[in-house]
Amino acid sequence: MGPLIVNEIIPEGLNLFLAFVIGIGFGFVLESSGFSSSRKLAGMFYGYDTTVLKVFFTAAITAMLGLLFFSLFGWIDLSLVYINPTFMTSAIVGGAIMGAGFILGGYCPGTSFCALSIGKLDALAFIGGLFIGVFIFAEGYPLWETMYKANNMGAPTMNTILGVSRGVFAFLLIIVALAMFVVGEWSEKKFPRDEY
Amino acid sequence: MEQTDRSKRYLNPYVGGVLLGLVLLAANFVSGRGLGASGAIKSAVVSTMETVAPQHVATTKFYTEYSGSHDGGFWHNWLVLEMLGVLVGGFASGAIAGRLKWKVEHSPKITSKRRIIFAVIGGILFGFGSQLGRGCTSGSALSGMAVLSVGGFVSMAFIFGTAFALAYFVRKLWI
Amino acid sequence: MKYIIKLAMVMIPLGLIIAAVPENTTKQYKLTAQEMINEVQTGQQFVHPDAIAAQIVSNDPELQLIDVRSKDEYDKFHLPNAINIPLANLLNPDNADVIDQGIKTNVFYSNGSTRANEVWMITRQLGYKNNYVLLGGLNFWIETISNPEKPRITSPDDEFAKYDFRMGASQALGGGGQVAPAASAPSSGSAIPAVTPKPKKKRAAGGC
Repeated sequence: MGPLIVNEIIPEGLNLFLAFVIGIGFGFVLESSGFSSSRKLAGMFYGYDTTVLKVFFTAAITAMLGLLFFSLFGWIDLSLVYINPTFMTSAIVGGAIMGAGFILGGYCPGTSFCALSIGKLDALAFIGGLFIGVFIFAEGYPLWETMYKANNMGAPTMNTILGVSRGVFAFLLIIVALAMFVVGEWSEKKFPRDEY
Repeated sequence: MEQTDRSKRYLNPYVGGVLLGLVLLAANFVSGRGLGASGAIKSAVVSTMETVAPQHVATTKFYTEYSGSHDGGFWHNWLVLEMLGVLVGGFASGAIAGRLKWKVEHSPKITSKRRIIFAVIGGILFGFGSQLGRGCTSGSALSGMAVLSVGGFVSMAFIFGTAFALAYFVRKLWI
Repeated sequence: MKYIIKLAMVMIPLGLIIAAVPENTTKQYKLTAQEMINEVQTGQQFVHPDAIAAQIVSNDPELQLIDVRSKDEYDKFHLPNAINIPLANLLNPDNADVIDQGIKTNVFYSNGSTRANEVWMITRQLGYKNNYVLLGGLNFWIETISNPEKPRITSPDDEFAKYDFRMGASQALGGGGQVAPAASAPSSGSAIPAVTPKPKKKRAAGGC
């Protein structure tokens, strides 16, 4: 059955339409959860608002469990689902640069679009910056191409590295996520801010 | 939760997280990949460059590699349509909750101008980093974690790790 | 806090279940049983030996004969340019490029039709296209191509034409009217290009 488009169950046009619908869901949930506010997002890093942590990890474990159960029921062929390739060097360096961008700019790309949709002008500035950043990367590509393609590990998954089944890893991740939520709740009580 | 201001009332984060997870699951089920945001920007940059400077594009490696792996153009790009949906969905949610307002959100300790400057700098860094890291928080970290990709976990750890590490030095921007 | 407990009450049991059950690694069958019945009933997967012989003689590069018998049997005798994929090895990932592609026409054969047809049914249910079955298998091949029966003198002209063709084909293929000569017709293979594997089923392209 799934993924629908890879198995050619639905036509290309419908796929693009569904992309739009899924995007609406994505934007709606982000905005409703408060991801349109940069100070709420940044609160994550000062402990006064751990919404990002909660939403992010709840979403990850929900989708992960969903995929594993879909696979179990034979609704989706996991071997056809895209697994992000791992290029260790660029994941680390890129991640660190993104982290710096996050704390300075207050958004990540998805949330900046979401914030723009309700009229945040700082989000518009951030998006402008995104375009410049991508443009710089594209123009200077030969300079960092080696780093970009270094340490290609293929598309390994966490469970194969740890030598456990996907299900066992999923269970461990759920426990870790719940533990982090407890820490998050504690942190919000410890570093409270009423107005932001 | 004794907030009275309607615009400050957000969805419970766990409920939001489950819903976001279901959206991500739907994306995987339909298209075989997760969500993404920076890919749409990359597509927009490439399309713009193709229109503005076609010759430059034809001779620059990044663009030719991009065109080699993507076909169908800007309006046939899954992520572009998804991001248009995000704008619509965000607007709808903001309208329902009464949060639609033009404004620059910043800490009372800094000016709007300063906030905008840092937003642009942050955007540049994030745009660059998302290309280097093959995806942003949604495309690499969130979607990658859902499919247990090692790269997703590494990206996630370094995005949040670096942000935590730098948070103290730029605290005036936010608190 | 109470949301965390609610979340934990849902997630932990689900996590335990998913940790306890074995992973589903079975390949999905793409066709339902009813669709399969319909295809089997039409019998359109069968190709007559005459058609295959003509393709072999003309060195049709699209043809890929696949011997689904055991390796021993294959080594003893096989049709020209046939490759050997025994039933037991069918799902070996190495063979996926051969049996799941859209360029060449695969024709399975065994001694009779049954084994080859079984292989065809499996590939068909996996959703692979371009696979066919040699009608009657090698037995019928030998009957029609290697040892054609001379038509009676009263037969219509086209029977004679068929006979001439079969005689010609059998000579061209080195059959020479013998039954299954040991290791005859070594694969020449020069005219047939290697199988170009079709691009792997397109996984969705990258996200961000």
